[in-house]
Order: sequence, then structure tokens, then C-alpha cells
Amino acid sequence: MTGALVAVMIGITLVTVALLLLVAGRPKIPDRLAGAAVVVQAPVSNSPADPFPPTIPWSQAKAQEWSGRLAGLPGVGAAVVDRHFYGQVIIGGRASGSTTEGYGWASVRLGGVHLVSGEPPRRPGEVVVDRALGFRPGDPVTLLTAAGPTPYTVTGLSDRPGLLVADEVAARLAPGVTAIGLVLEPGADTAAVEIDARELVGAGGTVLTGAERGALEPRGEARTRWIGMQVLTGVSALAGFVTVFVVASTFAFTVTQRRRELGLLRAIGATSRQVRRMVYGEALLVGSAGAVLGVVTGAAVAPALGRVLIDAGFEPATYEVRYSPLPLLAGLLLGPLVALAGAWAAARRAARVSPLEALREAAVEQRRMGRTRWITGGTLIASGVVLAIATAGSADPQDGATDALLSAMALVTGMVVLAPAVIPPIVALWRLPLRRGGGAIGLLVRQGARSATRRTASTAAPVLLTVAFAVLVAGMVRTSTAAYAAGRAADVTGGRVLVPDDTPGLSDAAVATVAGAAILPTTVFTPDLRALSGLGIDPATFGQAAQGTRLTAGALDGLRGPGAVVVTESAHTGVGATYPLTFADGRLIALRVVGVVADGSIRADLLLSDATVRLHDPSALTSAVHLTDGHPANGLANAGPASAGTSGAAPTDAGAADAAPASAGARVIDVATWAAEADSAEDRLVWLFTLMLIGVSAGYGAIAVANTLLMAAQGRASDLRTVRLAGATRRQVSGYVAAESTLVVLIGTLLGGLVALGALLAIRAGLSEQVGAAVPLVVPWPVIGAVVGLCLLLALAASALPTGRMLRAGALRPPEADL
Amino acid sequence: MTTQTVVLRDVRATYGTGDRQLVALDGVSVTFERGTFSAVMGPSGSGKSTLLHCAAGLDRPVTGSITIDGVVLDGLTEDEVTRLRRDRIGFVFQAFNLVSSLTAEENVALPARLAGRRPPAADVAAALTAVGLAGRRRHRPSELSGGEQQRVALARALISRPAVVFADEPTGALDSVTSRNILDLLRALVDEHRQTVVMVTHDPVAAARADRIVFLADGRIADDARVPLTAEAIAARTTHQVVKPC
Ligand SMILES: Nc1ncnc2c1ncn2[C@@H]1O[C@H](COP(=O)(O)OP(=O)(O)OP(=O)(O)O)[C@@H](O)[C@H]1O
Ligand SMILES: [Mg+2]
Repeated sequence: MTGALVAVMIGITLVTVALLLLVAGRPKIPDRLAGAAVVVQAPVSNSPADPFPPTIPWSQAKAQEWSGRLAGLPGVGAAVVDRHFYGQVIIGGRASGSTTEGYGWASVRLGGVHLVSGEPPRRPGEVVVDRALGFRPGDPVTLLTAAGPTPYTVTGLSDRPGLLVADEVAARLAPGVTAIGLVLEPGADTAAVEIDARELVGAGGTVLTGAERGALEPRGEARTRWIGMQVLTGVSALAGFVTVFVVASTFAFTVTQRRRELGLLRAIGATSRQVRRMVYGEALLVGSAGAVLGVVTGAAVAPALGRVLIDAGFEPATYEVRYSPLPLLAGLLLGPLVALAGAWAAARRAARVSPLEALREAAVEQRRMGRTRWITGGTLIASGVVLAIATAGSADPQDGATDALLSAMALVTGMVVLAPAVIPPIVALWRLPLRRGGGAIGLLVRQGARSATRRTASTAAPVLLTVAFAVLVAGMVRTSTAAYAAGRAADVTGGRVLVPDDTPGLSDAAVATVAGAAILPTTVFTPDLRALSGLGIDPATFGQAAQGTRLTAGALDGLRGPGAVVVTESAHTGVGATYPLTFADGRLIALRVVGVVADGSIRADLLLSDATVRLHDPSALTSAVHLTDGHPANGLANAGPASAGTSGAAPTDAGAADAAPASAGARVIDVATWAAEADSAEDRLVWLFTLMLIGVSAGYGAIAVANTLLMAAQGRASDLRTVRLAGATRRQVSGYVAAESTLVVLIGTLLGGLVALGALLAIRAGLSEQVGAAVPLVVPWPVIGAVVGLCLLLALAASALPTGRMLRAGALRPPEADL
Repeated sequence: MTTQTVVLRDVRATYGTGDRQLVALDGVSVTFERGTFSAVMGPSGSGKSTLLHCAAGLDRPVTGSITIDGVVLDGLTEDEVTRLRRDRIGFVFQAFNLVSSLTAEENVALPARLAGRRPPAADVAAALTAVGLAGRRRHRPSELSGGEQQRVALARALISRPAVVFADEPTGALDSVTSRNILDLLRALVDEHRQTVVMVTHDPVAAARADRIVFLADGRIADDARVPLTAEAIAARTTHQVVKPC
């Protein structure tokens, strides 16, 4: 039972930690809004597929109107229009990553940011920067905005990251407004203002107070947090599953070992219900004790793990674990529940033990596998394979990983259910090359594994679980990463691309330094409030960057004129129709449809001209430029000053003391590298996620392996004694035990590997079809080697220890009464 | 109340299926009356244990019917049979009688506790004293010898005053003095409490203490001696049984 106890404890520790961390992962109110008790946010678009639907900005005029009316509410001291835009400081020729946003000076009135020295920015070209950057008032500085590097003068220093510019500059860079902060008069009632504001704006916006203001968190941070949540949910689900699994195998094992005793109980008058209740009672005890231990441990390690999550990039730096009663309570309740679920099958089996079993010598169960078992196992394997294929089809790698987990669970459980039927043929196979090998010990090992298939199955189960999880999850993530890379590489012609370097995107200045096809993404909104992704392109060069584009009507060239749009078929509109859209500046523009492309043939919802996007979204950043063939290499790869000379088109860097190259924040790489690298930040998180899951399941599986083999060795004591009395030397007995453990690990590895490989092949087939290119099957050998090695090591240790003790004690000692 | 405590009518029991089917009891009809002490004898493999298992409701015969203390077992569910066994039947097995994690005392009290009662500690102590184990109440089965374990099982069969006690070779592992004690105990059950005892034995001396001896051979009743016999006479009959060709 210690095995089950340890399993529950670890499981509940993991679940408690995960829940504590999950609950702690609340959105953070942006610093600069700290002093605005009430914030009115622009209406949120409805995009069901996006966990973070963007807000539909108000236009300049609309924002002025709203702020005027909101300022008139009783208790409101000021209604401040908050503007934020992309901006970085260039230090030593490179974009500094510590600040990527700029605000209008007006936002200081919202109380979160303070001027610590110098003067506020009053004119264009003046900026207040974070004092941590090391500038002094009066210093020249180059800011990188969507236009490119621009010379500014530092007029003052603030106590927070973020650039503060004059309001007229902010209004130019961020013409669309997504939030208006209300500064209340001293003593004003927040609730009353909230009600008034809500009445005033109606459906025109969302009124946020208190913690709700977390909705204003930057989307990038929200996304990181969301990935973190996925990781934690995955870990909890896995922990729950593995706990049930380990408890189930532990209990199945004890029931098998105690068949005679259970039979005796039945013979002297225990009803099957009483036997079942007895097993459940033990499970409850183990579950409750494990839950208490687990919750305590979990609560103790959660803060440290929180810091690890920040370091791994799963959580923003502001993340902090706080104790709340709900996760702890959930852990306490979950322990007994999980233990009961795990003991369920064992209890049923215990109740079916017939009273006569007490009277029979053989403890081996000879019953053939029942029909229900076949059906259950088959169904589980089938649904596992279906899920695996679905995984391959899901567009989001994050969803993919979660599905992969479910698929692995179904496959592993299915295989374990079917194991008693699969094991004898495998043992027979193993026997072929060794028909004569192994002598008497070989014979004992083979016959033992064959005649006690259920025992072998339950000892091999944890190995199966561990190996299958490792191979499947790692293989799946690696294979799909390879598939996406293959897909991206197939999308574009060879050559080179200009990509961002330490920046979220490319500035216009950087784009102008090269000749090629640039893509300027933006978000637009339909009148029915849906958010659509648009790409600003140059029709002359776009074809080269996105060869998969299939035009079904009209022509891309039509985009040259103003107010033109190319839509996808799913927009259900035709060439010549008008298509009204709200842009990032909050203006509603009636566009003209000039072309229709096939769904899925562009990586967005619509195409616009780059001029149109730039007109309405001054802070949009180019994601990448596919360089025209034969464009001379100009040293951009290093983004060094050497490239400044070639950037004749750079409009802005005249006169700056610390002149930055126009190409700052960009580098050139070849397409193959880019294809492998694109999304790499996200891929890195997903791979970390995967390793964490494998770590959890492998570590946990290893415990289960050790546990079952330890129990098995104890249960085998009488057999070993018989072998010893029959004349086996100590050496032979040790060899017997080691061979038996190795066989069990081999069987588990084989079955686990088989399950995983089948699923991986299915996934690969699905992926090949999806990306339209041959996908290599990536088998993560180092992970497999490590996991199998760990299992083997633990298995040998777990069976050698009790055997060694027994051998030292001499051949005839009676077994210790256990349980 | 009937005087026929255990009635087997035309009981047929088999093991295995198809080619490997083995008939362990082949149409056995036998009645054990209230307040009698019967011995069941016969060569190894003749079906003695099987007969006891069927009679105690531990095993279900293929055909035939079994009545215990007036209750017909045929239509009863598994749990109904279990309750009947708990309340009216005591059993001492050939081997492996005790729950290894419980002390002698707890093993004795177990059937009553399974039935939801807590037998008075004095009763438990008395039962253990009766089998000569007064000093070993707190010991676990692993700390008792084979014969002592057998006697704990007997104490367990005695305590609830069951209508019938089945004992499968209760003296098989014991020396002659301890054997005699056990047989005295069984005898006393019959003589003083009008309980019924059915005992399987290979030992003519033990069988001689019974009121009646049923001889089994190849799953059939070969002989049924109701008069008291001497050990020598029993031994003679047993030998006769073994050499007799089928
Ligand atoms: N579980 C079983 N499966 C198959 N055959 C069995 C089983 N139990 C008993 N038998 C067979 O049934 C026959 C009767 O067995 P039983 O145990 O009743 O004999 P017995 O008279 O009690 O023998 P012993 O004196 O050796 O205890 C024997 O031939 C035995 O081999
Ligand atoms: Mg027998």
C-alpha cells in the first residue's frame, strides 16, 4: 500500500501546485492604469476562436466625445484618453528589449507612472524614458517606432518601463483608442461612478473596475499566461491520470496477491459487498492520507515552482503565488476520489473471488480474458488513434499537445487492458532465439511470465505507461514541428528573408533597406464586430512571398487603387461589392472588393495594399520581407552600422548624435533557417511544456515501476524459497530475479513503443496531408533511451533489494506478514 | 425443526470442461442428521473435499440439490448462501485457514463481526481455551504452528454454535494427543449441544470416534457404515476400498 500512498501523495502534490499556480495566474492591471479606479474599454470584438479577442478601437473623434461625456459624470475628476503604441529605445545600435511600448503624457494622470526628474515631453521629439535605462535629461536618444529609428531628446525620467511622449505624437502613432481611464474626485464612490458610466456608454464600451481592469493587460502577456495555464492544466490532468493508474495497478496487484485470503474471508461468511467495501475502505484511507501529505507538500513547493515558471517564460515577471483555500480543498477532496477510482476495478475483481480460492494452492489466475475486456481495450486504442490523428489536424500546436496527452492516455489504458492477451505471444517470441538459452533459470522466467500473464501485465504496465508517454508526446511534438517547418519551407521560394531582431516586427525604415515582398499585418473589424486579420501587401511582389495564393475572381493588381480589398471565399461576397471595415484608427471605411482568393490559401482573412494598412495603422509592424532574388547581401545580418550606408531610403536619422542604422532591429537569414525558426519562441515554450509533461509522467511512471516490482518481489518470496530449496544457488536466484525484471521492462517497453509508434505513424500521415509535403518521422531517441534506462535501473534495484535481504536471511525464513 | 441438518440429493460435481472434464462427485445422495458425528473417508482424489465444499455451499454442483438446516441452496444467490454459511455453518479447512494479518482472537471473532455482531470477549477467550490456546490469543498465524492454526480455525467454527461444522482433515497435521483433544471437542459439540459434525479424515482412529462413516470412491458412495466400528475394522475397510477394482 505504500506504493499507492506515495502515488496519491505525488499526484495530489502536483495537482495542488498546478491549481495554486493556476489560480495565481490572474491578469495584471497595467502599471500606468493603477490610479484609474474605473476604466472604460472600447467594445471587445467577438472572435470565438481567439482566447483574447482584440478590442475595436474608438476613432479620435469618438474617443474625444466619450471622454468629454465621461468627465461630466458626478465624482469623475478627469477622463483620460489612454494611448499606447509600439516604441523601443535603441542603445548601442540594437533595440533594447526592456521597453516595447510608448504612451501619451496624458496617461501619467492615471497615477501609475511618475516623473522622477526633468520635464514632461511638450513637443514632438521629446521623450521621458525609464530611469533604469541610464539616460539623463537633455541626452539625445534614438527611438525605434513603426516608421523607423527617430532622434529624440530625453526631457525627463520616469519610474516605470515605457516611453512617454507628447500627446500629439501619441495621437499620431496611436490614432485608435482602446481605453479611457477615469480619475475620481477625492471621496467619490467608485461603485456609483461605475453605474453611471455603464449607463452612459451602454453597448459602446465595457466599464471595468478593480481586478476586472486586468482585461487591459497587453495581449502578448495574456498569451504567455495562457500557454502557462495550458501547461498547468496538462500537468494536472496527467497527474490525475497517472495517480489513478498507479493506484489501480497497486490495488490490482494486492488483490491478486491476496486472492487466497479474500477467498477465505468469503468462505467464512464475508459477502462480496463486504469484500468490495473492504478494498474501498483501504483506498479511502490511502487516498485521504496521501491527499493530506500531498496538499502540504504542494503548498510548500508552489512558490518555488512559480519562480521557475517565470524563468521558463510561461508566466510574466509579475506573477506571484498566493495561497487560497479552494485549491487546497480541491486537493484534499481529489485524493480520496482518485484513490477510489483507481481501486474500482480491483474492488470488483476482489468481490468476484470465489470462496474456494482459499482452498486451492495455485495463486495464479487462469481465467481467460473476458469479452468486456477485449471490447474496452479495443475501443480505447481506437479512440486513442483517432485522437492522435485529430491532434495532427489541429492548427494550434498548443491544442495539439493537449490532444496528444489525451490520445496517449487512451492508448496506454487500452494497451494495459489488452496486455494479458498480448503478453504470451511476446514471451513466446522472445523465447525463439533463446530456446535453449538460460538453462533452468531461463525456463523459470519464461514459464513464470507466461502462466502469470496478469501479474506480468500489471508489473509491465507502469513501464508501458512511461515509455508510451515519452515516445508519443516527444515524437508527436518533434514530428509536428518538423511538419510545420516543412510546410513553411514549401510555401516560399528559396532565397533569403529580412526578419525582426529583438523587436516584435520590422519598421518601415528597415523594410526600405531591402528589395522584396513585405507583409504588413493588421487587425480589422467587420460591422458585426468580428475581428479579421488583414495583410498589407504590394501586389507586384506578393506572389513571390506566398505562392500558395489561389485567386478565384478578380486580380491582386486591383489593390493598387485606394480603398481596395481582396477577400476569401468564406466572406461570401463578390468582386465589385463594397466591404465596410473598421481599422486600427477606429475609422469605418467602405472598401471595394477587387479579388477573391480560395479559403486557406493565404495566412489571413483578407489582403489590403500596404499603403492602406499604413494609412490606418501607423504602428503596424512588418512581419518579414522575402528578398527579391539577386538582391546584394549588404551586411544586414549583423544589423551593424555598415548597413547604414546602403540605406539611402532611411528617412529619419539625419542629425542624431547616436545615429542608428535604418535597419536597426532587423536581420537577414535564409528561408530554410527562417522556416525552422519561425514561431520558434512559441515552439520553445511548447517543447518545454512537452519536456515537463514527459518529466512528470516519466518520474511518476518510474515510481510506479519501482513500486510494483517491489511488491512483486515480496509476493514472489515463497516461489524464490522453493527455487532455492530445489537447489538453486544464491547467484542463480539473483539471476532469476534480474532476468525476470528485465523481461518485464522489455515487455513494457515493447508494448509502450508499439502503441506510440502506431499513433506517431497515424499522426505523420495526417500531417503530410495537411501541409502537403513529406514529413519525416522524428523519433526522439535520447528521450526514449533515458526513459527506458531509468525504468530498467529502477526495476533491477526494486527487485534486487528485497531478494538480497531474503537471500541473506537464509532459505527457510517464513515471509513477513505484510499488509 | 427438521432432524435432517444436511441433505445432498443426487449431487454431481465436475471440474474442467470438454476433454479435460473430471467428475469429482457422481450422483451422491447422503443425509446427515441433527446431533450426529459423521466421518467421510476414501482414497485421495475420491471427492471427499468436493463433497464437503458442496455441502457447505462453497461450490455449486452441476446437478442435484442441497439442503442445509431446512434451507434449499439451489435457488439462493451467492450472498444469500454466504449469509447462511456465516450463521449456520462452521468450517475447518485442510490448510490455510486464517487471515494472516489478524491475531488468533480476531480470526475467531471474524465471522460474527462480518455479520455485524461483536462477540463478547469472554466467548472468544472460552473458545480459544477450549482448543487449548488460551495463552496464544494475541498471536498471529505466522507465529503459530500448523496444528495450532488448525485449532484456531476450530475455535472459530465453534464460537457461533453453528448447526453444522464441516472439518476437512482437522487432525491431519496433529500428534495423537492434540488429535484426541480436537476429536473430544467435536464429540462434545454433538453430544452436549446437538450440533452436527461432518469430518473428512484418513485416520481410522479419528473415524472411530464418529457415529457413522461414509466411504467415497471415484466420486460415489461406496459404503455407509452406521454402527460404531473399531479402528481396526475401519482400517480393514479402507484397505479393501483401495484395492477393490473399479
Ligand atoms: N480445482 C480443481 N480442478 C480440477 N480438478 C480438481 C480440482 N479440485 C479437485 N479436483 C479433482 O477432483 C477430484 C476430487 O478431488 P477432492 O479434492 O475432492 O479429493 P479428496 O478426496 O479430497 O482428496 P484428498 O484426500 O487428497 O484431499 C480429484 O481427482 C481432483 O484431482
Ligand atoms: Mg481433500
